[in-house]
Amino acid sequence: MTERMRSVVVGTTVVIIGLITLAIPLVLSSSNLEIYVDIGLFTIVVSGLSLLMGFAGQVSLGQAAFYGIGAYTAAIMAVHKWPSLVALIAAPIVTAAIAFLIGIPLLRLKGHALAFGTLAVQLILLAIIPETPSFTGGSIGLSAIPPLRIGPLAISSGKDYAYLVWIVAVAVLIITRNLTRSRPGRGLRAMATTPSGASATGVQVESYKLRDFALSAAYAGIAGGIYVFFIGYISPDAFPVMLSIEFVIMVVVGGIGTISGAFVGAAVITIISQILTSLGTSPSLPPQLPTVLSLGVYAVILIAILRLIPSGIVGALSELWKKTQRTPSAVSSRSSEERQEVASAVDGAGRTDSVLTGELQSRDATMVKETSTGQQ
Amino acid sequence: MTAFVEYLMTGIARGLVFALLAMGFVFIYRVTRVVNFAQGAFAVFGGFITYSLLRAGVPQGVSELLAILAAALIGLIFGIITIAGDLPLLASLIITIGLSILSEAILMLIWGTTPITYSGLTGHDFVILGAFIQRQYLIVVLASLALFALVALAFGRTYFGKAMTACASNPYAAKLSGINVKRMGLVAFMLGGALGGAAGVLITPLSPMTYDADVSLAITGFAAAIVGGLTSPGLAVIGGLVFGLAEQFVAGYWSPSNETAVALALLIILLLWQARRMRLEGLE
Repeated sequence: MTERMRSVVVGTTVVIIGLITLAIPLVLSSSNLEIYVDIGLFTIVVSGLSLLMGFAGQVSLGQAAFYGIGAYTAAIMAVHKWPSLVALIAAPIVTAAIAFLIGIPLLRLKGHALAFGTLAVQLILLAIIPETPSFTGGSIGLSAIPPLRIGPLAISSGKDYAYLVWIVAVAVLIITRNLTRSRPGRGLRAMATTPSGASATGVQVESYKLRDFALSAAYAGIAGGIYVFFIGYISPDAFPVMLSIEFVIMVVVGGIGTISGAFVGAAVITIISQILTSLGTSPSLPPQLPTVLSLGVYAVILIAILRLIPSGIVGALSELWKKTQRTPSAVSSRSSEERQEVASAVDGAGRTDSVLTGELQSRDATMVKETSTGQQ
Repeated sequence: MTAFVEYLMTGIARGLVFALLAMGFVFIYRVTRVVNFAQGAFAVFGGFITYSLLRAGVPQGVSELLAILAAALIGLIFGIITIAGDLPLLASLIITIGLSILSEAILMLIWGTTPITYSGLTGHDFVILGAFIQRQYLIVVLASLALFALVALAFGRTYFGKAMTACASNPYAAKLSGINVKRMGLVAFMLGGALGGAAGVLITPLSPMTYDADVSLAITGFAAAIVGGLTSPGLAVIGGLVFGLAEQFVAGYWSPSNETAVALALLIILLLWQARRMRLEGLE
């Protein structure tokens, strides 16, 4: 397949998926519409977290806290009569600024201190909110949040939010994709392969990681902002630690560091969680069953994916696709394909700081091999 | 003064329990470079297993030891799931998060959601400077000191302990000299499990244990371990004491509802301090 044909195929696929995305809200019932909005919101959060895990090699267990900070920023500003659009725009900015401040010390530490540090941030947030009722509404929360208005356009129905969420989600995916191919993106990828090597060639590892972390928080912030206008009220119960863990699971299921994986992971886990809730709530069953079931299923999915298909669903599919495409003439188009998809497979290239490393190294090796056999 | 002594004793006892958890983090991290998020789960299992054994009529003392052994076994299983094969560190870390929620599911399935407790050593409270101190606090102090001594002896005097130290300081050289680094990693997980289990066994009589206590136990243990940069068992003990005392004095003199927030803020401060220290030493 030539590069031109490939881009036509990819372009058509994108257009078809786009049309389907736009058509879906028209046929969904209101409860399904809510799930559809959730998947969109989670896609936004997960693409940021995936970027952090795939490139900086760090896990954040506070992504739900950033989602919450975004939501509270928007809610508090809107309640205090700020224009709702300003409140929505402020959500990611405030969130990113907070992440930036937290990230300066945490990202300098070895041993995945970021995971525990962000978890601490989330627990502190959950402890502070009930103590500050005058500002945040305490444990009861804030209600009567004015609806979102973009200029003369009032965003009110579920359908409006479905479109808004997906427009933002697509924008976020495009930004992420372009970012991974830009100069900072190449720096990030070099960093994912070998931090010390990247540092030696002039990539400012610490600053890149910090910006990566702030960006992932900004994504969570904008999603939180949209969420609060969509739901219309806010309380700390909406941002449990489990939600942060769910975001990590979504990243792993889709494929760490893959762009389309963010959507796949968010969709798969959101749908599974809906099925589990409906399964577990039959009246004859013990009341704690839904929790046991969802915790158990999440744990098994997480461990099984990392153990069996560490590159996630998208990573595994793209590897499969590459296998079927492996012909000598494919070598030239492959290199562009490599640039497009930052897959994240691991194939025993040693224990390193990043999941990406194994894949990138082995990929280099196979490319060298293929080039040399082509020359023969 | 009476209140002060009471907070001091409670703080020391709880601090030593945190130190046991912190040492589990340290041993596992030193050998495998994995920060074990499921460290708190060992303690929860330890507490619940002791509870069930005592209720089944197993005598005091035997129940506790069996629970610690069971926790060591759980540590081994967790270790195999986490580090067997060639996984990158990030994947191992995320697997331990999975094991933590898996533990919650199992604990909830077997024991339900009601908090449990059992009486430790019964007998009269003893009196220090006018303060009444439960005997369990004395037991906690003695038992943890004995465990620390045992661990120190094992590391200093036995081949196994020295091999583990070798893996911690230079895994490559350890491998060259014929030490099975992977197996040592599993031993570290067993040790981490036993220490965590002991922490749970000791703390359950003092404050009731719930199936989902693992996250808060893990984060406190991690915070204590960060005092020693995750690699020094001795500093981890000091870290545990700092957290135990801070928690009691904040709860006693200020407000119990601020306890968690203060502990977490202390963690952030410690992380800041460690980051600064690392920058000064150029150990990035």
